[in-house]
Amino acid sequence: MPHLGDALALARWLTGSAADAEDVVQEACMKAYAGIGGYAGGNARAWLLTIVRNASYTWLARNRSREVVAVGDLNDLDDMSAGHRDHSPDDDGPEANLIAKADLAALEDAIAALPEPFRETLVLRDINGLSYREIAAMLDVPIGTVMSRLARARGQLMSDLGRAR
Amino acid sequence: MTAHKDGLPKDKAEMTMMLHALVDGELDAATALAVERRIAADPELAAEHARIAALRVAVNRLPKPQPSKAFLDRIQAIGGADAHQALQPSVLPFRTSSSHSRTERSLRSWSARSATFDWRALAASIAITAVVASGATQWAMTGGSDDFAAAVASGHRRSLLAANPVDVVSSDRHTVKPWLDGRLGMSPPAPDLAKDGFALVGGRVEVVDGQPIPALVYRHNEHLITLVAQPRNGGEASSPVDRSADGFSMVSWSDRAFAYWAITDMERSGLDEFVTRFRAAAAI
Repeated sequence: MPHLGDALALARWLTGSAADAEDVVQEACMKAYAGIGGYAGGNARAWLLTIVRNASYTWLARNRSREVVAVGDLNDLDDMSAGHRDHSPDDDGPEANLIAKADLAALEDAIAALPEPFRETLVLRDINGLSYREIAAMLDVPIGTVMSRLARARGQLMSDLGRAR
Repeated sequence: MTAHKDGLPKDKAEMTMMLHALVDGELDAATALAVERRIAADPELAAEHARIAALRVAVNRLPKPQPSKAFLDRIQAIGGADAHQALQPSVLPFRTSSSHSRTERSLRSWSARSATFDWRALAASIAITAVVASGATQWAMTGGSDDFAAAVASGHRRSLLAANPVDVVSSDRHTVKPWLDGRLGMSPPAPDLAKDGFALVGGRVEVVDGQPIPALVYRHNEHLITLVAQPRNGGEASSPVDRSADGFSMVSWSDRAFAYWAITDMERSGLDEFVTRFRAAAAI
């Protein structure tokens, strides 16, 4: 079964739980199978991930309290960044090799802490490997928004990982 | 900071986004080169670039979820035996015209969405520079067609180097034509030749001597065919003329509305077949 690992990874990061991800992906696969006639060509993986994303949010809305589902926005990230923006703008920040060797648990925590639009964009790009175009189409936002969310999400992660030293 | 004439953003945050786009392989060859030059000249950009690349390395080390046997069985059970196949892209056999599900519509909107392609404008400005630099600027509406051919050829070569040869990705001419119309106020015929083995891949805007010109991209087996359509004001239609050179097959012809230039790296006979099919379909 192709793309199932990708589907699980996306659902896991959107729902925050590996066990829940299996339920979500199962539901998404049922929808995908039922809607297979609507598949109009193009990238089958992106198509499946779109369904997984929708199923994840449907699942969250049904199974989680509102505050957990609360959709983050740019201000959330500003608040997060403000907490540890103690280095001057000229500071080069953490060294690249520090980031590359980061503790995986710390990285997972940092990703989980990202506000949802940023986490979603980061996961679709860096874990699922979708192109900017595919992400823009899936999220229905301009490519410029994808680029800025990605830059800010990664900036937050780099900052978090650098702080953990 | 010294002034750059490479068309890249001056704003620091936007330049950072270009670094991310470079790491992600999202830049065409010309833009990537320009960004790499900036990185080489600017230690601050170089450090940021290294951090972004390092983060990719770290994220790639994250364990990938492996579907358990029990989970796979649950999924397999969904559609019976054919569910397994149904999700294989290579065996998705159908485009149903009857069901326009939400998914299909959202897929269609993909192409429209990719029209907002921020750095493409930047890339286009770089393309102008490249064409100016290569001396292919003598093109004019009358005469100078060899130089125009050279510009079309370099546009095609550039598109083969770029991450994506088209700016609007769609096999649907009802998507490609409106996109070009929206950009340029005109669009050439874009017949669907998939049944003849020439699938419409999408469209892009070529820039020749500062003039934006619509281009269509078709695929035949593994070969791309770029069809540039230069608008003209009336005039006599002309039959296909061979302009092949430098390992590329090129044919040009015209009708009353456009002068067409088709270029590809496949052999002439294949291109001739495309031209014949295209002219027949476009004449309808």
